[in-house]
Amino acid sequence: MLSETQRGLLGETRKLRYAVAGRPLIDGIDLTLSPGRLTVVMGPNGSGKSLLLRLLHGLLQPSSGEVLWDGSPPVERIRSKQAMVFQRPVLLRRSVAANLQFVMKLRGPANDEKLREMLAFVGLTAQADQPARLLSGGEQQRLALARALVLAPEVMLLDEPTASLDPASTAAIERIVAGAHDRGTKIIYVTHDLGQARRLADEVAFLNRGRLAEFTPAQEFFGNPRSECARDFLAGRLPGLRPEKPTTI
Amino acid sequence: MTASSLLRFAATVCAGLLAAGAFAADRSIVLQSTTSTANSGLYDHILPRFTDATGIQVHVVAVGTGQAIKNARNGDGDVLLVHAKSAEEAFVEEGYGVERFDVMYNDFVIVGPPGDPAAVAGMHDATAALGKIATSGAAFASRGDDSGTHKKEMALWRAAGVDPEADSGGWYRETGSGMGATLNVAVGMDAYALTDRGTWISFSNRGEHRVLVEGDDALFNQYGVILVDPERHRNVKAEDGQAFIDWILDDEGQAAIASYRLGGQQLFFPNAAP
Repeated sequence: MLSETQRGLLGETRKLRYAVAGRPLIDGIDLTLSPGRLTVVMGPNGSGKSLLLRLLHGLLQPSSGEVLWDGSPPVERIRSKQAMVFQRPVLLRRSVAANLQFVMKLRGPANDEKLREMLAFVGLTAQADQPARLLSGGEQQRLALARALVLAPEVMLLDEPTASLDPASTAAIERIVAGAHDRGTKIIYVTHDLGQARRLADEVAFLNRGRLAEFTPAQEFFGNPRSECARDFLAGRLPGLRPEKPTTI
Repeated sequence: MTASSLLRFAATVCAGLLAAGAFAADRSIVLQSTTSTANSGLYDHILPRFTDATGIQVHVVAVGTGQAIKNARNGDGDVLLVHAKSAEEAFVEEGYGVERFDVMYNDFVIVGPPGDPAAVAGMHDATAALGKIATSGAAFASRGDDSGTHKKEMALWRAAGVDPEADSGGWYRETGSGMGATLNVAVGMDAYALTDRGTWISFSNRGEHRVLVEGDDALFNQYGVILVDPERHRNVKAEDGQAFIDWILDDEGQAAIASYRLGGQQLFFPNAAP
């Protein structure tokens, strides 16, 4: 049930496939992404998590199948309601405030009040006039989040935004993401971090070798994973290295 | 005709043929130039006219501007025709070239995939468009080869405040190749690319890519021509090289450039000083 503050686009993938040189990297994924829920995408390295995110945002075109948001492919009208945050954000060589003003001006005149509010929301008010490239890694990622959120997206896609951050910075990012979610932004969050997934997720999409192995509420996923590959992943067993059952001679 | 006059006539014809043979064999120059001009088909259009007028053959070495300048510095070539004005001026100032002249211009455009994931279609501010591409995470294919096009691209990134090479291999893909190969990569991976308009118009594998950003003064693309200094490199064919420069800067050469069209479009615009 959506609260009044929960906005959003309904996302769907239908038989989504993305192949390179004939090799499927995303293989027949059917997924429904409801507004309001915080969806965590997990899976081993190379399972296709980042590719899925890029396909959802329209940065890549499917080889076959489709991505639909409210029934429409991720064309500009849809993408303008989305924002994506990467593991290594590209910040412009200008001040923190100017980085935000840049994206605001692309949509219209920069709004000083909105700018101040966003800087406060991500805890960068004191750094507003500092060059963005001199920020710490955690601060840079907070700025990237601010740059995404200042456009008031209905959907925010995050690709391992805390992968190279220390615990304190990670906690700060999680607070901002949870805050955005509380304000009604649909979050789709790729992470390797099990603890983080437990803290954030309403539901988990688990990918394995480009396929959707499991898509369940978070409590169910962590308490009783259905797929063998998810059980292996949660137990810290490397895919392909599962011990064989002893055989009787 | 007497026997002696016949002999004199035969001797004259032989001498003339020998001279013509020597003329055809010896009178050639090497033009160090760029893939963008060669790939566009411009030289196929204009050089036969120059050869008809002068008897001088032109052998074009088509590489990136940076490599062309390096080759000319090493004395591998008689004339340089490239598109990176500051590098060309440095080439002359450092004593490798005699004098630089504007020849013609075209412009750069940013091409991109039909989905336009960074939503830059219709923008006329190239640096803002590049900033938008970088922050969107959309793929960008770069020549990455120190060519004139690559130099222009890097200048635009600097103006946008983006250091794309920090994400080399991520959203920013450097091909280290010429314009045609880079456009093939861009089309193959749904990436954006900066290209000169001439190459784009003559490029056959466009797929659904199209011109998305154009019309910014910063995308102006000036070509210059320089005679390699014969005092620096004794092997330079100064007389024939200068003949080429005189021809291309004069009315005939300028008209030949203006008359080259592909698909009804003029690719290069002559602008030599009168």
